[in-house]
This record gives sequence, C-alpha cells and structure tokens, in this order.
Amino acid sequence: MIEIHSPTARRGVEVATPLALLLGTYLLFAGHNNPGGGFAAGLVFGCVVALRSMTGLLKASGSFVLIAVGILIVTAVAFSPLLWGDVLLDMQIVETKLPILGKVKSGSAFVFDIGVTAIVVGLVVALLNGLGSTPRPRETDNS
Amino acid sequence: MSVSLALAIGTLTGVGLYLITARSLSRIVLGFSLLGHAAVLALLTAGGPPGEAPLADKTTPELTANPVPQALALTAIVISFGLTLFLLALARRQQILSGNDLVEDDLEDQRIAVRAEEVDLLDDQQSDETQQAPGVSS
Amino acid sequence: MILWIFALHGAAMVAAALLGRSSIRRGMAAAGVAPLVGAIWAISQLQGDNAPSTEEIVWVEQLELVLRFSTTPLALMMAALVSGIGVLVFVYGVGYFDDTAEGGARFSTTLLGFSASMLGLVLADSVWTLFIFWEFTSVTSFLLVGHKNTYPATQAAARRALMITGAGGLALLAGLLILADNVGSTSLSDLSPASGTRGTVAAVLIMVAAATKSAQFPFHVWLPGAMAAPTPVSAYLHSATMVKAGVFLVALAGPAFGDTVSWKVLGMAFGIASMMWGGFIALRHEDAKLILAWGTISQLGLIITVLSIGTGKAVFAGVSIILAHALFKAALFCVVGEIDVRTGTRNVSELGGLSRSMPIAFAVAVAASLSMAGAPPLLGFPAKEAAIEAVLGLEGLEQLIAGIGIFGGSVLTVAYTTRFLYLVFGPGPETTVAPVRWAMTIPSAILAMAGFAGYVFIGWVNDIVIPAATQVNPASDKYELIAWPGLKTAFVISMAIIAAGLALGWVIANRTQEAPDARGANVADRTLDNVLILADEVAGRVQHGSLPVYLVTMILTVTLAGTIFLGDLDTNGWVAWDSPFQAILSATIAIAAIGGVAVGSRLGAALTLGAVGVAMAGLFLTHGAPDLALTQLLVETIVVVGFVLGLGHLHRRFPPVEPTWRMIRLFVAIAGGLVVSGGLLAASARPVGQAPVEALQEGSVDPGGGNNVVNVILTDMRALDTLGEVVVLGAVTLGILALASTRSTASNR
Repeated sequence: MIEIHSPTARRGVEVATPLALLLGTYLLFAGHNNPGGGFAAGLVFGCVVALRSMTGLLKASGSFVLIAVGILIVTAVAFSPLLWGDVLLDMQIVETKLPILGKVKSGSAFVFDIGVTAIVVGLVVALLNGLGSTPRPRETDNS
Repeated sequence: MSVSLALAIGTLTGVGLYLITARSLSRIVLGFSLLGHAAVLALLTAGGPPGEAPLADKTTPELTANPVPQALALTAIVISFGLTLFLLALARRQQILSGNDLVEDDLEDQRIAVRAEEVDLLDDQQSDETQQAPGVSS
Repeated sequence: MILWIFALHGAAMVAAALLGRSSIRRGMAAAGVAPLVGAIWAISQLQGDNAPSTEEIVWVEQLELVLRFSTTPLALMMAALVSGIGVLVFVYGVGYFDDTAEGGARFSTTLLGFSASMLGLVLADSVWTLFIFWEFTSVTSFLLVGHKNTYPATQAAARRALMITGAGGLALLAGLLILADNVGSTSLSDLSPASGTRGTVAAVLIMVAAATKSAQFPFHVWLPGAMAAPTPVSAYLHSATMVKAGVFLVALAGPAFGDTVSWKVLGMAFGIASMMWGGFIALRHEDAKLILAWGTISQLGLIITVLSIGTGKAVFAGVSIILAHALFKAALFCVVGEIDVRTGTRNVSELGGLSRSMPIAFAVAVAASLSMAGAPPLLGFPAKEAAIEAVLGLEGLEQLIAGIGIFGGSVLTVAYTTRFLYLVFGPGPETTVAPVRWAMTIPSAILAMAGFAGYVFIGWVNDIVIPAATQVNPASDKYELIAWPGLKTAFVISMAIIAAGLALGWVIANRTQEAPDARGANVADRTLDNVLILADEVAGRVQHGSLPVYLVTMILTVTLAGTIFLGDLDTNGWVAWDSPFQAILSATIAIAAIGGVAVGSRLGAALTLGAVGVAMAGLFLTHGAPDLALTQLLVETIVVVGFVLGLGHLHRRFPPVEPTWRMIRLFVAIAGGLVVSGGLLAASARPVGQAPVEALQEGSVDPGGGNNVVNVILTDMRALDTLGEVVVLGAVTLGILALASTRSTASNR
C-alpha cells in the first residue's frame, strides 16, 4: 500500500469523509430525477475508502462480502417480479416523503441502485487489497 | 460532428493504438483506457448534436440531447473502467512473477516456429530413403 | 418407421459397445440385430407398389434445416443392400475374428455406426441430410480403415482415405448448395434440370465428389490402401456400400444433370479411365485383396460410365450392375478373408489347390466370379448384357468411346477374374488349411446364392430395378433384365469378351511378374505431407508469438479496410466546433494524450491519463450529459488511484524501445487515428435520424417514475443490460481478488 504519512493530509481526509458520505448518499437518492445514481454513489464511497486506507485511517476489507450482497440484491430485484407474475426486471414505484429531499418517487429501482453501489465499493476494496499490498520482494532492483 | 471532436477522437485512437502495441503492460493498460475514451466519445457524438441535459422536468424535448447514446456511453464507461482495473491487476501480477511488466512472446507459438524448422531438417534427411522404399501395403 | 430404425441402430451401438468390451464376436453379434431389422423392413417395403413415404425431424424450419428421409424405389433398393449385406457381414465378422482380437467395442460400434450412416445416406431426402450422412460414412470409414491403429502403414492409409473422401465431401456440399439454390428447395426429390454456368459448376463439383467416394481415377489411390482394414470392413464398405455412395449420388443427380454436357463427359472420363486402369493393375497384383480392390475400382468405373451416359437403357443397366456388383464383390471379399484366416496368407503366388481343401469357398468364388465376369447363369450376365445393349443404342463418337471403354474394361475384368481363380484354386502345391468356420462360410455362400437366385427369379429383380432406374430416368421403364436373350449382337459381344478375357487371364496367370508399386498412393501421401509441412512453415512465420506484431498486423488490416469510408469525405458542411469550450477541451484531450506518450515516467503517464479523463468529463458537460461527466470524473479518480497502486512498484521509467519498431508503431497508430477521424467526419455527413426524445421523456416520467431519462433508461428500460454490466463488475472484482490471492504460491515456485 502506498501510504501518505502527512498529518495534514490525514486531517483533511478526516474532515472530508462525512461530506463525501453525504454526497454519495445524495447521489444514491437523486439518481432517478437528477444526475447521480447507484454507480456514481458507489464510486464516491469507493473514493472515501481509498483515501482513508491510504492515509492509514481504515483497513479496507470485505470486498467479497460486498459484491456477494450486491449481486444478491440486484438479482433479487431482477427476478422478484416473476414471483407476482410480472416480467423480469419490472420496477415497482413508491412515493414517499423524506425529510431533506422532499417528495421522492422511487421504488425497486432504488434497491437495485443500492446493490450496484455495494458492488462498486466491493470492487474498489478489491482493487486496494489486490494492487496495494506489497509482496515479498524477489528482485530488489524493481521494488 | 464538429471537426475538433473528430480530431480529438482520432488522436485518442492513434495514441491508444500506439500504446497497446507496446511491450510494457502498463502502457497497454493506458492505451486501452484511451481507446475506451475514444469509443465513448464517438458513441456519444454519433447520437446527435449537443443539447440540454435530458432531465424531463427541466427541459423541452426540442432542445434536449439524445439520451439513448448517453445511456449506452454510461455502460461503456463502466465496462472500460472494469477492464482497466482488471488489466492493472494483471500487470501487477506479471510484475510480481517476473519482476517487470513486459509481455513475453507466446511459448506455444514459438514452439510451432521451432517445429517448422525441425520438419525442414527431417525432410532433407528422409527424401532419399522414401524414394527407395515404396509403400508395400497399398 | 425410418426414425425408429435409426433409434434401433443407436441402441444396438450401445449394446455392441458394452458386449464388444469382453469379446469382439459378441459385439458383432449384438450389432447385427439392427441391420437385420433394417433389411427386413427395406425388403418388405420393396414388395408391392408402395408410394414413397417421407419422415422428417425439423430443426430450423426457416433455414430448411431438417433431417428428412424418403422411401423412393432407388433408396429402398440401396437400403436393402446396405442392411442386407450388413447382416451377413456382421455374422461373417463373428467368424472372422478371434476372441482375443483387440478393440472389439470400438470396432463393432464403428461398423454399426457406418451401417446406420450409410442407411441415412441412401434414404436422405434433403441436401443437408445427404451431406451429413455422407460425411459420417467418410469418418467411420477412416476409423475402420485405421482400426489396427499401431501400424504406420495403416495410419497413412486411413489418413489418405479421410483426406480424399473428405475433400470430396466439401465439393459435394458446394455442388448441392448451388443445386438447391437453383431449385429453391433443399429436397432431393425436387431436383430439376440445371443449366448455364451454375449448372456446369454444380455438375463438376458433384461428379468430383462422386469420383472421390467411388474411388475413380485419379482419386482411386485411397482404396487399395484401405485394404489395411479387417476383411469384414473391406467386404462391406469398400466393395458393397460406401464406394457405392458415389455411384448412388450419380444416379440421384441424374434427373438434374442428365442433359448437362460437362456431367456426361466428366463422368465418362472418370469411368473409362478407372475401368481400364483398375483392370490393368488388378492383373498384376499378388495380394488377393488388392486384386479385388482394383477390380472394384474398375467395376465402379463401369457403373459411373453407364450412369453418366444417361440414356434410359444405360441408366437401367447401371442400376442393375449396382445390385449385381454388391452381391458378387462382397462374396468374393468374404472368400478372400476366409482364405486369409484359414491359410494365413492371401498372396496368390503362395496359394494353390484350394479347390479341394476349401470346396465351399471354391464354389462361392466360382459363382461370384462368373457373375463378375458377366457369364450366365448369374445376375451379372443380364446386367452386363444390358450395358452392352445400352452402348449399342448410342451413336457416333459417344458409341465408339463408350464401346471401346466397356469392351476393354470387361475383357480386363474377365482376365483378372480368371487369373485370380486359377492361381488360388487351380493346380499347385496344396496349402495347409485350418478347419472351416461356418460363420464365415455361410454368409459368403448366401451372397453367392443371391446372385444365382437373382438370375433364376429375374422377374423379382426386375420389380426392384425397373422402378429404381425409372426414378433416375423415366425412359428406363421400357427395359427389363432378360435371362436368356438368344443369339443377339449383345450376346455375341458378351461371349467375345469372355473368350478374350479367359485367354488373357490364362496367359498372365502363367507368367511371373512383379507386383506394381503404389506410386499413386505415394504421390498422395507426399502431397499431403508437403501440405502439412507448408502449414507448419506458414504457421511458424505468421504465428511467431509476438503480441505487439499481431496487434500491428490487425490494426493495419482494419485501417486499410477502413479507408473505403474516406471516399465519402466532403469538406462542405464541416463545422470547426459546436462551442468554444468544445474546441478547447478537444485540444486539451489531444495534447494530454500525446503528452502521455511523450512522458517517460509511469506515474507521469498515469497522471496525464487522469487529465484526459477530466477533459472528457468537461466535453460530456458541453454535450449535455451531466451523468456521464459525473461518472467519468469519479471513474477517473479511482483509475488513477489504481494506476498509482499498481505501477508504484515498477520502475519509474518505461523500458527503452527499439527505434525501428517504434517508427512502425508510430506509423500504424497515426494511420489508424487518421482513418478514424476521417471515417467519423464522412459518416457524420450522412443524415442522422431524429431522436425520439419526446417519447423517451414521457415514458421516463410515467411508467419509469423518474425525470432523469438516462438513468431511467439504465435502471428500467435497459435494466437487463445494466444487470449484465453489474455482473461484469462483480466478475472483475473476483478476478482481481483471484489474481491477488494466487500470488504467494506463484512466487514461491
């Protein structure tokens, strides 16, 4: 792992984290009416994970669980309409009122997006683990 | 499509092609990434001229950009994102195994070339013998 | 019923595979059940005037991909031969093999597989069905010829047979497709006369296919080598059935090509050349099986000749000879196999005096030989008589050529038959003989008896042959086989042929001579070897293993192909840019991309890539695609992180590149980029259809439930694609995890 040891950077990441999480959550909800969506939200969360683990604030793990859960969610959303006789991937729509976002018209598409988010975060974690960790050096001149 | 866009796409393609013909895997990954950009841009601009963002409540249909290529391009971005990350993992593994990230010549293919040379040699040795001994069974 | 018979063959193949494991003889016995039922069915269908019935299995109806079978008279006659001789061969195999023989399951299953394929071939009623079963017979023949698979000579013979008949199969497919396209139907019963260039091409292709299968000069070289197979195979495939497939094809295509000149000329050329050359070589061989094999080449030449002459009488004669030949040639092969098993040799110069020690075999051989020579009182006589009559009915040059060919070929046939009989059974040191094996003797006796019965009950044979020949040429219904024609011209010619042949055979038999070498087969083998060597060399040059060179080749090819789009380039209506931002961002992208190449350090290259991504996001914004811009920015962030992580362990700088190679790559890359730019500009000059934006917006809001059309498309309208995309991401994650986790074991090597 490439680590950033500057205390300033660590502090900056600590401050930025809640803002980024808020942004990601907003994107997740906004997707249906405004730019955003599950993929973008996942990438924002992924950036948070990446920055925090690079500054040593977090030890990223659990990518397998994340993609397993994500794929379970998206396939469940995809196939559940078949249970009540609709076609594959038929999206249900619900209208709710949420405190900040106001009236939100969403539904199973939102659940689908949560699954996508989980997969993307899982991918980023796998990337950090897979590319980041330093193997035992074999040839010193290359490391 | 404007000329500047076409040139940008052409440049991305050219640089991408130059990079994927390199021996260094990290350059190949960069090349793939650029080719992905070129494809996304071509896809998007092939769908029509620029317009306003396709948000149904904020625009009128006449002024809106075509949303279909945008959706396709979004998928393309995601897939090339996945491909790039996977190639990076491959490059990393190659580096761990061999100390560098160079693409080596394919061993199987090299064996074929070697065999072709061997057959040449055998053929020269055998050509006299076969003429003396015709097949008996047929 | 036909389909059930095939099912039975399949079941019997399983049974033969199971039983043949312990003993080849049990396998052969089990396998024989299927052709027995097939033969009973075919013969029962031949009785009375049944209208042809059709059975089919439809696979892809629109493409007319169907398995379709039809019981036309010709098909039934062939089916009766295939299954009838099949039963006898399987029984014969029980006697031929010892219990210790190896590969019992393989052999009996393959032989039955051949039997089923051959049945499918003759009953086929669509070009696909015909072709598939044709190829099946080639493949099973290859496996059977190569049964003793440890001998190099056997391997070479099997390969030769496969290559030649396989090449013929390709010619057949091409010919049939042209023909079917001409007619507009894939059904073989719909074949109509083909004319013009296409007709000529199809005629040549199909005739060549028939010649490869029926071992016609110069494609005959595979048949003598195929004698490396066990004798039941030679008796079944290489005399009675598979080699008849070519002849059958000539008969089948007769209605389509009867009037095509190239068909007739080519067929007669193949036929007469084979008749002469086959008979000539048969006179010189010492191996009894090879004598018969070359005789088969000669006899098939006779059939091809008369069938391609195509007159009513000639076709009638051809179909009659098919029947007669199958009976007597199978009988002769059976006798030779019996001699081989009981004396340990089939070299005619070592044999002699077998007429006393093997009396039944002697009687069978004499009967079959008489039929082959065209002498009464056997079926071969009226059939040969019909052929001579047919030639007498021709005129001018055609009569002269066909007459000389058939006369010469027949004299040679009588001569090698005489020599064969005289050397094997005539006076000489008596060979020691093992006890009789009835399982071998009885089938050969039945075959010889059938030839005799066919002469005695000639009316019954006529009932079979006349409808079959009429199917090929409607003019054939005027003719019939006549047991005793009296002193007519044809009869006199027949007798002259027999007399001349006897004299020639007698003279040759008393001369010592050297067996001919296998020059033709050697030429075929060497050609094949050279093709393989050439393939190796080409592959060695082209497939050199360097990935960059492969890529450059591919890119160059696509670039060259892409240049055709540049013809549409027209500078009218070009717009420099849609907005100033677009121009600036495009320039940024181009500069950053080129800079990425120029930068020598890996991290620098990764960062310029990031710059390109950010500029791309800007372009998306100017194009009205905020979703793309957002995603692109975020993706770029993660990718740059990935690059830093992945490349951080490598050398800071890229390894040096050889200058010439760099120039080639540069040239290819620039050419590719220019063609892409030009192609895009040329394409954008074409009118673009109006995007259905309004409909999409409405659909997005109402059933989609969202205002962001792009996202609704992704999560609702094209949700299945998105699901697939998500699965791809999952797979990438697993791939990265797998690549990372195998590390420790791999580096411990």
